[in-house]
Amino acid sequence: MSVLNTTLETVNGVVVVLPEGRLDYDAAAGFQSTLEQTLAGSDKPRGMIIDCTSLSYVSSAGLRSFLVGARAAKSAGVPFVVCSLSQSVREVFTVSGFSRIIEEHADRAAALAKLG
Amino acid sequence: MISLAEELALLAIEDDGAVAYTAGQAGFGMALIGACLVDLNGQGRLDADLTAVHILSRAPTGDPMLDLVLGEMSGDTLLSVEQWVLQLAPQVPTLVQLALTALVKRGILAQKESRFLWVLKERRYPVMDGREQKEAKLRIMSTLLGDDVPTPHDTVLVGLARAGGLLEGFLSAQEIHRLESRIGEVGGIDLVVRGVEAAIREDQAARARAMMLPMY
Repeated sequence: MSVLNTTLETVNGVVVVLPEGRLDYDAAAGFQSTLEQTLAGSDKPRGMIIDCTSLSYVSSAGLRSFLVGARAAKSAGVPFVVCSLSQSVREVFTVSGFSRIIEEHADRAAALAKLG
Repeated sequence: MISLAEELALLAIEDDGAVAYTAGQAGFGMALIGACLVDLNGQGRLDADLTAVHILSRAPTGDPMLDLVLGEMSGDTLLSVEQWVLQLAPQVPTLVQLALTALVKRGILAQKESRFLWVLKERRYPVMDGREQKEAKLRIMSTLLGDDVPTPHDTVLVGLARAGGLLEGFLSAQEIHRLESRIGEVGGIDLVVRGVEAAIREDQAARARAMMLPMY
C-alpha cells in the first residue's frame, strides 16, 4: 500500500496542492477526490497549483487523476497549473502528452506570479 | 456498461455487420490488448508506469477477455506495456472472438452465418442495438471537435481508435487531416496508449526488417 499525503494551502485565493509521495493506483482515487472536492467547494479558488516538489512517482492511474483534476478545473473556469516537477514526473507528463494540455512552471513562485 | 475493449471491438463492426478489414491488422489487435490493460488498470488488477506493468491482484474479474490477458501475464520478470503488448499479440484472434461473443450476449450485435458464392462460410455481426456504437463515435467526435480537457476514458478511446486504424471507419481522410492536431493533443494522454503505440512501431519496424532479409 503506497502512501500519498496531500496538503492544501491557500495563497491569495489560489489553492496550492502539495502531494507528497507516490501517486499510484492506491493513491489515485483519494488524490482525484481531493482535487474535485476543492474545485466544487463553495469558495471557488482563483486558481489551482499542483506543487509537485515532493511527488516522487506517477503511474498510469495517477496520471488519470491529474487529467480528471485538469478537466474539473477547466469546467469550473479555474486556471490549473503544475510546478516543480521532478525529472521522472516530467517524463511521465511528456511521454503521455499531458504536458501538451497543461501549463507548467519552474516553481511555486513562478506559478503564483502567473495566477496572481 | 460495456468495457473499453468491447467498445473498441464494436467500432470495428461495419454497417452491414462485417468485421472491418482493419480488425485483422496488427495495429487493431495491439489496440485491443491495450484496451484490456486499461480495463484491468481500472479494475485494480494492474498499474503501469514508463518502465513496467505491475500486477496488483490476480483475482479474476469475471470478464473472459480481461481474465485471459491477466492469466497470460505470469512470471516474475517485469515487462513494459510495449513488451506485454507484443508478447500478448498471439492472443488477439481469441480476444476478438471473445469481444464479439460478449457483444452478442449483451444484445448489441447478432451473429449471422451465410455462404459466400455458395461455398465460403461467412460470419457477420449486424448491429442490433446501435446506441453503444453511436455513443462511442459521438464521444470520439465531441472530444475531437470540442476544446475541453478529455475524460480519461475518452482520451484512451480516441488514442486506441487512432492506433487501431478505426477512425478511418467513420471519418474521411480530409476530416482526419483537418483534426490531426487535436487528435495528437487529446488522443491517448495515457501511459498504456503510449506503450501500445510503441509496440505498433516496433512491430512495423520488425516487419520492415524481415522484408529486407535476403530470400535465400
